[in-house]
Amino acid sequence: MTSSSLRRIVVVGGSIAAVTAAEALRVRGFDGDITVLSEETSAPYSRVPLSKGVLCGKETPDSALLPPLDGEVSLRLGTRAAGLRVDRRRVVCDDGDEVPYDGLVIATGARARRLARPGQAGEHVVRTLDDATRLAGRIATAGSVIVVGAGFLGMEVASTCTDLGLAVTVVDRDPPLRRLLGGWLADLVVGAARDRGVRFVRATRAVELAGGQEVTGVRIGDRVLTADVVVSAVGDVPGTGWLADSGLPLRGGLVVDDRCRVAPDIVAAGDVTVSGRPGGEFRRSPHWTSAVIQGQVAAATLLHGEVATLPRPDAYYWTEQFGLDIKISGEIPDGPAPTVLAGDPRERSALLQWRRNGRGVAAVSVNHRMPIVKLKRLGAWASAEPG
Amino acid sequence: MVRIEIDRHRCEGHGLCEQAAPEIFRLDDEGEVELLVPEDIVPELRVQAEAGVRVCPVAALRVRR
Ligand SMILES: Cc1cc2nc3c(=O)[nH]c(=O)nc-3n(C[C@H](O)[C@H](O)[C@H](O)COP(=O)(O)OP(=O)(O)OC[C@H]3O[C@@H](n4cnc5c(N)ncnc54)[C@H](O)[C@@H]3O)c2cc1C
Ligand code: SF4
Repeated sequence: MTSSSLRRIVVVGGSIAAVTAAEALRVRGFDGDITVLSEETSAPYSRVPLSKGVLCGKETPDSALLPPLDGEVSLRLGTRAAGLRVDRRRVVCDDGDEVPYDGLVIATGARARRLARPGQAGEHVVRTLDDATRLAGRIATAGSVIVVGAGFLGMEVASTCTDLGLAVTVVDRDPPLRRLLGGWLADLVVGAARDRGVRFVRATRAVELAGGQEVTGVRIGDRVLTADVVVSAVGDVPGTGWLADSGLPLRGGLVVDDRCRVAPDIVAAGDVTVSGRPGGEFRRSPHWTSAVIQGQVAAATLLHGEVATLPRPDAYYWTEQFGLDIKISGEIPDGPAPTVLAGDPRERSALLQWRRNGRGVAAVSVNHRMPIVKLKRLGAWASAEPG
Repeated sequence: MVRIEIDRHRCEGHGLCEQAAPEIFRLDDEGEVELLVPEDIVPELRVQAEAGVRVCPVAALRVRR
């Protein structure tokens, strides 16, 4: 099907990837119908402040709302896609309604992984606005918290709870932040967390939630830790449940190529996707910037097929915790110490670069404001640029 | 008339607005966002402005009509 025969485009999902794709379709001149189906009852919002400002109560939930899509897009909130009939080009909604499409954008993101047993109440996660406001209410009056999972999300929640004066324990099987930041930078951040009183517990066995009907703590083998509040930050599960019988390629996420294609007239973007890497491995990149870029590429591909140029690789992500504002371009290798280009890491303010064969592979700013394009030139873009 | 509003307290200097709409937004040497055009923008720049505003992860930018 050529782009001129696309009259109705359906976007499934209600967050940044979905909204970016819908807007990009219009910017690229698509003037047919666009329908966005979102399971959430709230208008699209950013999740980024949920573990930070919204959780500590400094920012209102409303402040996380994304700029509204204009009237030429029909946004159906509270509508969950329950199935997909690729042969008949229809999305089947949970209320039984079938929405026909000529072109489809899949942007159903991910949901939080949980540890609770069926029927067990009281486990907190931080994925949606409701999750964050519920947890904010709890930690406002609690004295202690256990955070399971020491990735960005878990550590940001731990940091916010520390600021609010709670006694904080972080539990993980792996060394905190190591996989994301490499050993050298992870040590720096964990040092800052320890200085603020965070206790780290290395789980040698699987972590389970303790307590009967109500969660009271965590169990690691024979050891039980208790706290007023338990937050699981143990990763997220791509939102592909509704695609199980669709016949679309699933490998721990919906498989897309470098142009975000899934199947003829079907594209996907954001946290729901995985892409193939050399060696046959499939990887996710569940970050804001990749959701934005993929949303734009997906729209372009749906309308124009092979777009003339693909955006250059742009691995960019960030975290704020324990008084450290960390911005990252590229993939930080585990192990070696970086070159310090400015500032002083001992004073927790620096510009850092990791190099391989004389070329930058990653750059990180820690409490060091600078134009982000400069950071990217030292990091993700360095290997592609001359000199 | 379309007006761009920047909440400088919210801005965290991620520079995504600059990448999406380089003719309108720029980060200065201190990583602070600045406008390259008057706040009240001409209609021809509206689409670019909205694209730049859309990508801000901390909702620091607004377009008012
Ligand atoms: C607390 C928190 C903090 C974060 N902080 C950062 C950060 O600092 N930096 C960073 O780069 N990234 C951060 N992230 C990650 C970032 O938010 C995600 O990468 C981004 O939200 C992905 O957008 P998405 O649109 O692909 O998916 P999602 O945001 O997961 O949105 C998916 C949408 O689809 C809807 N949906 C799902 N299934 C269906 C269905 N069957 N039918 C209809 N609708 C459906 C959902 O309700 C949801 O609205 C953070 C994430 C969280 C949770
Ligand atoms: S995208 Fe938002 S946070 Fe980033 S520089 Fe622009 S206004 Fe600031």
